[in-house]
Amino acid sequence: MVKLQINGKTVEAREGEMLLAVMQRMGIEVPTQCHHEAIEPTGNCRLCMVEITKKNWDGWKKCVTSCLYPVEEGLIVETHNDKLFEIRKTILDLQLARSPHSDYVAKMASEYGLEKSSYPVEPQGDDCIMCYACTRICDVLGKSAIAPTMRGHEKIVAGPFGEAPPDCIGCLSCAFICPTDHIKWNDKGNTRTIWDKKFKLIKCKKCGKKTITREFADYLIEKRELPSEYFDTCDICKRQETADTMGALVVKAREATI
Amino acid sequence: MKYCFQVIPELCTGCRTCELACAFKYAKDGKPGRSRIYPLAHAKDQYVPVVCFQCDDAACVRACMFDALRRNDETGAVELDKERCVKCEACVAACPFGCALTDTDQNEIVKCDLCQGDPVCARFCPEAALKYVEIED
Repeated sequence: MVKLQINGKTVEAREGEMLLAVMQRMGIEVPTQCHHEAIEPTGNCRLCMVEITKKNWDGWKKCVTSCLYPVEEGLIVETHNDKLFEIRKTILDLQLARSPHSDYVAKMASEYGLEKSSYPVEPQGDDCIMCYACTRICDVLGKSAIAPTMRGHEKIVAGPFGEAPPDCIGCLSCAFICPTDHIKWNDKGNTRTIWDKKFKLIKCKKCGKKTITREFADYLIEKRELPSEYFDTCDICKRQETADTMGALVVKAREATI
Repeated sequence: MKYCFQVIPELCTGCRTCELACAFKYAKDGKPGRSRIYPLAHAKDQYVPVVCFQCDDAACVRACMFDALRRNDETGAVELDKERCVKCEACVAACPFGCALTDTDQNEIVKCDLCQGDPVCARFCPEAALKYVEIED
C-alpha cells in the first residue's frame, strides 16, 4: 500500500494504481474525455491534468495527466486550482475551435465560461476530438481495424489508406465509446453501415429480430469458442425456449410422480 | 458459506410479483418489460420464471471482449461492470438462455446480479418458487 495526499486528505492506494482511479474512488470530480475503464489510458484529452509535488521537491510542482500517473509514496496532489482551471479552459477553447458543432464540447466548455472559441474557428471542423478511444477499444477487441491516418491537420481516424477497414466486424464498440458521437452508423433493413463498410445483420430464426452482425458473431465463435447456435435466435426467443424446456421438464416430473 | 438461487417452476403461479419487484428496484419508471426476471408461460396457465442461471462457464463472460462481466465470488453472481461495458451487445447475442438484454430507454445492458446477495424477487415471491438458500461447499 502507498500513502499519498490528495487535496489535503491522506489516502491509501494500491501500488501501480493510477491517480485518476484513486481520485474517482474518493469522489473527486475531474473532467475526462478519453478515459474509459475498458481501454488503456493514453492521456490524449489532457483534461484530467493535476498538479503534483513532494515534500523534498523544494516547492517545485509539475502538471501530469492523472489517468497515466501511477501513485507514489508521499505524493501531494492538487486537483483543482487556478492554474489547472486555465489549462482545462485552454484545452476546451482549442477543441471548441476544432469542433464548433459538437454539443458535447460546447457543454463542457460552457462549464468553464466559454461560449465561443477565442481561436480562429474551423467552420468545416468535425466532431472528432482525437481522443482515440475508438482505436484503443478496437485494439482491445483484437481487431485494430481503425487507426489515425494522415499527418498534421489532415489527421483523421479511418481504416487503412482512408478506405473501408477490411478488419472491421461492425460491432459498434467504437461508435458507442466515442464521447462526441462522431462515428456515424446506421441499421437499414438487414444491413449495418459503419466506416463505409456494409455488414449483414443476423436475423432471428424464429421472429426475424435483428441482432449483431454475422462477422461479429463469427469472431466471437472463433475467438471465444462459443457454439454457433447460440447466435441463431434473438434474446426474446431464447428466453421462451428456456421456459419451454424447463416447462417440459416440470410436466415430465409431474407425470412421473402420478 | 455459499448461496444458491433456487427456482422451483412447479410452485410458480405466474403472478408476476417477481417481475414487478425487480422492475421497481432497477428499471426506469418501474417498467416490468425491463425486469431481469421473466415469468413466461410454456403452456396455458403454466409458468416458468426465467432468470439468469449464473452459469459456471458463462457464455456472456466468454463473449465479453472487455472483461465487463465478472463473477462475484461472494454472491456467486456474474456481475456487469457498467464502467467497462461499451454496450456492444455481445453478451445479449451469446447468452443461450436469453437472460441478458438491452434496456433501450436507459441505454444499458440488463442482467441479473442477484441484487448483490439479496434478491428482491425471492423476498417477494408469495409461493416461495424463488429462494436464495445457503448451500454447503
